[in-house]
Amino acid sequence: MNTAMKMKKRITFALGEAHIRAANVMTTPDANVRFWIITMLLVLIGLSTLKLR
Amino acid sequence: MLLALAQWLAQDIRAFSVFNYITLRAVLAAMTALIISFMLGPWMIRKLTAMKIGQAVRTDGPQTHLVKAGTPTMGGALILMSIAITTLLWGDLHNAYVWVVLLTTLGVGAIGWVDDYRKVVYKNPDGLSARAKMFWQSLIALAVGIFLWTHATLPQHTEVIVPFFKHFAIPLGMVGFILLVYLVIVGSSNAVNLTDGLDGLAIMPTVMVAAALAVFAYVAGHAEFSKYLGEPSIPGAGELAVFCAAISGAGLAFLWFNAYPAEVFMGDVGALALGAALGAVAVIIRQELVLFIMGGVFVVEAVSVMLQVSWFKYTKKKYGTGQRILLMAPLHHHFEQKGWKETQVVVRFWIITMLLVLIGLSTLKLR
Repeated sequence: MNTAMKMKKRITFALGEAHIRAANVMTTPDANVRFWIITMLLVLIGLSTLKLR
Repeated sequence: MLLALAQWLAQDIRAFSVFNYITLRAVLAAMTALIISFMLGPWMIRKLTAMKIGQAVRTDGPQTHLVKAGTPTMGGALILMSIAITTLLWGDLHNAYVWVVLLTTLGVGAIGWVDDYRKVVYKNPDGLSARAKMFWQSLIALAVGIFLWTHATLPQHTEVIVPFFKHFAIPLGMVGFILLVYLVIVGSSNAVNLTDGLDGLAIMPTVMVAAALAVFAYVAGHAEFSKYLGEPSIPGAGELAVFCAAISGAGLAFLWFNAYPAEVFMGDVGALALGAALGAVAVIIRQELVLFIMGGVFVVEAVSVMLQVSWFKYTKKKYGTGQRILLMAPLHHHFEQKGWKETQVVVRFWIITMLLVLIGLSTLKLR
């Protein structure tokens, strides 16, 4: 087995989607706000299930 | 347009009748505006950058803001485009109120667009003169006031509804009503513009206030709900929920690009128009005082500028040297000067708006 195959690999830079984004290109506040926006959308979708049946 | 299509299709396929529900169309409008802004956002930022439409930063402002110079501005055009397309798609185009708010928003947006264009393209730091800006804003606001006065069918359509009081409303004559409409639209437009000084500071409160106004519009347009809650019944005003939802959707998507550090600023084209839109909706559904509460951050920002300027002029005249109440105006710069980080100011102002919106929404029930 060569060295490259023995090396433990990571799927992402860091654990936690927010850390991945921050380590990649986004700044911390950027990542925060974008995750809040996504949460708001998910909450809206959740609330819409009250009516959409 | 899609409503008309759905109504036509519903003659043969009953399932399409579901699009008659304002609540469904409001949710779809928010989603549509969001998707349009998400899709067009990166393209527009690239275009604005390529055209070198960059923000000029005020030299007398906080030093930390100098790095923002050159960030693309006039992104508000994206918001307006998204709101207009969405409203035309999901709104009832036979409803006069829809056209009033849409034309007010686009009209005031055009004023902001000319101002921004002169500033960033012609490099004219003054842009459109304050007098010209006020003239066109006043013209639009007065036109809205006259339209609403002539189309009012019940006394409560021209009364000031006082929050928290069930049987207390202030009747206004023609002059009083038109003056109130004028003050609300012009005041709200300029207040949002003054608030738009930090990344994300103006857009998120706009999203929250628009979402709350959507609820008020829906109630005002629903005969049973308005009667039960003791709110003025305004037939047709429910359609404004679709417009407000479009503002929220487009605004939320814009925040994606406007969050600190901003990739784009909305500019006057966005800020003036969104403020006018909130004001126009509030006067139609008779919730000016509730807008005053929910948009408290906008109000305080505008008042901070007025007080700072007035006090400076007064003391300069009286003592020879001008004195300041705040370290810097508008208020958000004062907190920055006190040592708060930009993101702290922004998020704390959002939290305050959330609380104010909750108080505003509570007026629906607490009477």
